[in-house]
Amino acid sequence: MLLAWRRFVFWCRRAELERELKEELELHASLARNGKEMGNITLAKEESRDMWGFRSLEHLLQDARYAIRVLIKNPAFSAVAILSLALGIAGNTAIFSIVNALLIRPLPFQDPSRLVRITNLHPQALFEYFQQRSKTMDIASVSPGFEINLTGQGPAMRVTASATSANLFSLLGASVEKGRVFSRDEDRPGNDGVVILSHELWREKFHQDPDILGRTITLGGMNRRIVGIAPASFAFPSNKVQLWFPIRIDSRVVTQYWAGAFVPLVARLRPGVALAQAQAEIHSLAANVWKLFPWPMPKRFNADSTLISLQTDLAGETRSKLFILLSAVGVVLVIACANVASLLLARATTRRKEIAMRAALGAGSARIVRQLLTESVVLALTAGICGVLLGATALSLFRSVVPPDIPGVAQIAVDWRVAVFAAALSILTGLAFGVVPALSAGNLNLVDAMKTGSQRSTTDSWIALRTWLIVGEVALTLVLVVGAGLLMKSLYGLTNVNPGFNSQKILTVKISPNQSFCVQREACVAFYNRLLEESRGLSGVMEAAVANTVPLDGQLPQIATEVEDHPRTPDFPAPMLWAGAVTPGYLRLMQIPLVTGRAFTAADGSNAPPVILISTSTAKRFWPNTNPLGKHIRRAGETSWRTIVGVVADVRQFNLANNSPTSIAGAMYMPYAQAVDTNGQIPVGMNLLVKTTANADQAATDIRRVAIGANPDIPVGKASALTQIVGDSISGFRSTIWIFLSFAVAALVLAAIGLYGLMSYSVSQRTYEISVRMATGATGLNILRMILAQSLRTALLGMVVGLAASLALTRFLSGMLFDVTPTDARVLVGVCLFLLAVAVAATSVPAWRAARINPIRTLRAE
Amino acid sequence: MGRTTPPPELLPGTLDLLVLRVLSLGPMHGYGIAQRLKQVSDDVLQVGESSLYPALQRLRLNGWVNAEWGASENNRRARYYTLTAAGRKQLVSEREEFDRMAGAIQKVLRMA
Repeated sequence: MLLAWRRFVFWCRRAELERELKEELELHASLARNGKEMGNITLAKEESRDMWGFRSLEHLLQDARYAIRVLIKNPAFSAVAILSLALGIAGNTAIFSIVNALLIRPLPFQDPSRLVRITNLHPQALFEYFQQRSKTMDIASVSPGFEINLTGQGPAMRVTASATSANLFSLLGASVEKGRVFSRDEDRPGNDGVVILSHELWREKFHQDPDILGRTITLGGMNRRIVGIAPASFAFPSNKVQLWFPIRIDSRVVTQYWAGAFVPLVARLRPGVALAQAQAEIHSLAANVWKLFPWPMPKRFNADSTLISLQTDLAGETRSKLFILLSAVGVVLVIACANVASLLLARATTRRKEIAMRAALGAGSARIVRQLLTESVVLALTAGICGVLLGATALSLFRSVVPPDIPGVAQIAVDWRVAVFAAALSILTGLAFGVVPALSAGNLNLVDAMKTGSQRSTTDSWIALRTWLIVGEVALTLVLVVGAGLLMKSLYGLTNVNPGFNSQKILTVKISPNQSFCVQREACVAFYNRLLEESRGLSGVMEAAVANTVPLDGQLPQIATEVEDHPRTPDFPAPMLWAGAVTPGYLRLMQIPLVTGRAFTAADGSNAPPVILISTSTAKRFWPNTNPLGKHIRRAGETSWRTIVGVVADVRQFNLANNSPTSIAGAMYMPYAQAVDTNGQIPVGMNLLVKTTANADQAATDIRRVAIGANPDIPVGKASALTQIVGDSISGFRSTIWIFLSFAVAALVLAAIGLYGLMSYSVSQRTYEISVRMATGATGLNILRMILAQSLRTALLGMVVGLAASLALTRFLSGMLFDVTPTDARVLVGVCLFLLAVAVAATSVPAWRAARINPIRTLRAE
Repeated sequence: MGRTTPPPELLPGTLDLLVLRVLSLGPMHGYGIAQRLKQVSDDVLQVGESSLYPALQRLRLNGWVNAEWGASENNRRARYYTLTAAGRKQLVSEREEFDRMAGAIQKVLRMA
């Protein structure tokens, strides 16, 4: 230990020691001049230097310096190798960082591995049923975020709330920053007037008022006392949620209890309970819940409920996207490694002469191995650093794949473990392919190696290995490019799909009075009518309408219905229909074509006979062979029927790929004034849509002024252009595709470089042979053809393998494909032709070079 | 990374012992040490600078000698090596060890 320390001190002073030794040796020499002649001064110096430091460390530095010199001297090789690896490392670092943040890093709750989600959505009654019956789990109910009015604190505002059972916080093991969590009975009627604010809302709306606890705020017209502030790190069930309040569980209010809100349930496994046990229990409990309802429910309703990890649940659809991207980027890394392996193989074989020379000069094989190892490591480290920097940049772009409201999205940061892993993988590649061939060549026969170190040494078995590496690269690239092709075709299809409406020049603003404001529905109708009239008077506004939802905005108003001619059966109970509530101008404003019948008019008011419009596909589904006009539909539980007066074209309400989710059987529109539910209540959170020629900012300001003028207590949301909403609805999909595409392009570039490198090397190794061929009559064109054929054979072999792999693998993409099958022939053929063209392009330079070889000069040089 | 060994001209380890012994007579510079070894051994031990100076560095590193710059006989700057207390201890123990080894070797050589 002491020795090591002294050594370190000496090592630090080595420049000084070197000077002193030099002086000492000079003195020695001058004193000895008359005596015997001097011995080996250099040896004396070198031996002394060994005393001053860490010989192996110095050798390492020396090797590293040499390695860097070698890399700088071969800029093309270094650039390609480093860039290949850096691309692979960057992509993997970025994607894995996201995967880690969302899928691997434990959720920020106590003992998160024991938290699960019970799939499907369940009413309060089932929450209580499961909670009381389960012996393996504690269960909590938590609604996804929904918007609600916050009033009585300055200007009215719209906030996102989540209604939870009282035990949610304690079940998660989450604490509050201030105050307390909900206590046991606060989800019972009369006790539920409490609320916990998010840290963010406390900061933004209440300026971090330290005395906030105990204050009362009004949410959706109901007074609630603030009992706690959640810490900034608490985001559940989504980042959007700004406050939490208890649900009100009252089994006496039957409709509310059994059908008021269908919400997700989360659970914590009790100590000592295995997941399988809990699974078995929930399967047996859920099997018959459909029989418990006080009215007929679809057979086996929610019987397929099962447990999934809470983390998996929170990541949602992003999970499969991430897996696809992770696989794609893994493939890119494999291709990069293959490329570097191929490059190193080429270099190792051409360096045999150098290595033989060093061995002949006395370098031990261990020393040579170390030198080669150092070169690989320097290469990999350089690539690693570039890769991580690139990855950090890429991460900020890749983030867009993840919906911003997923908890954990804020914690996405560069993950060092994966950067290290990718670098280690590339180092291993370097070792395997840089060191082994060089050594096996160097060790075997020094004399032969030095003699045949010229370009005539064509017979290396490594070139076969290189060819196979390139075949593999081409195959993998083909798979990625086919995937990218399919996704691009889907994206093209999606962006060109006819959504059923014209989004141009339409601006939408959510204006949402409290439910209490609309108890008298005339008041509410009058309020919106006044808004419409005033909006139409604004400069630039051509048309205005009010609707409960805007297509593609993520809202899904659905109601259970009874359809004439389709009596309820146990297997086909009340079909769910998408239910629009619109003012008469809506269809014209959205340019939704009327197929048959009539549109709504101002005469379809509160007291007029109830009428509805249905969509074409709904008409086809329920009345394929009869005229739907005059048929009837009503809400489940309603006594009087609503008459179908018209059929309108389909609209992509839910997303651009589908009109609506499969659980929804069709779409209908009601006049707003008639859109009451069975309790006589009218929808309150309505969107004001205007078609305007004015610029969006001006129009938004005008509308806000009008709305606040109409009633200052009613919050006015943010104005959005409908085109923006349409674009946003596929933005996650679009960015996933672009990232996938970037990986495919990276793979393509790498494979092209690999093929180019292989062919250049092959041509340079075959110079002699080509010269002989030319001397014996082959033309430049023959040679060109020969080299091209060699390259295309390799590429075609790779493409055949790749096609087979594509056919097996692309079905994993099917969840993301739109209007294209995973084995779309046009995409497959197109990609193959494209790859072939790339292969020809990559080979053209070496082939051209081969055709221009001057046989006389080459043969003379030999 | 332990101690490095001197070139195998002498019995392994003996150069260090000899240098320590010479320095036990008083401070001396490198050339002086070589000369003294040569004289005392009747020209048998001719230590080259390629062994001597590394050995001196090694002794310094182990803390057995100190080095200080002074003036040589012809008024040039020379580095004088002095035995440290640790060096003295080392000399005793290495000498005992050497005697033991030498005795053992003698015994083997003289066996009947």
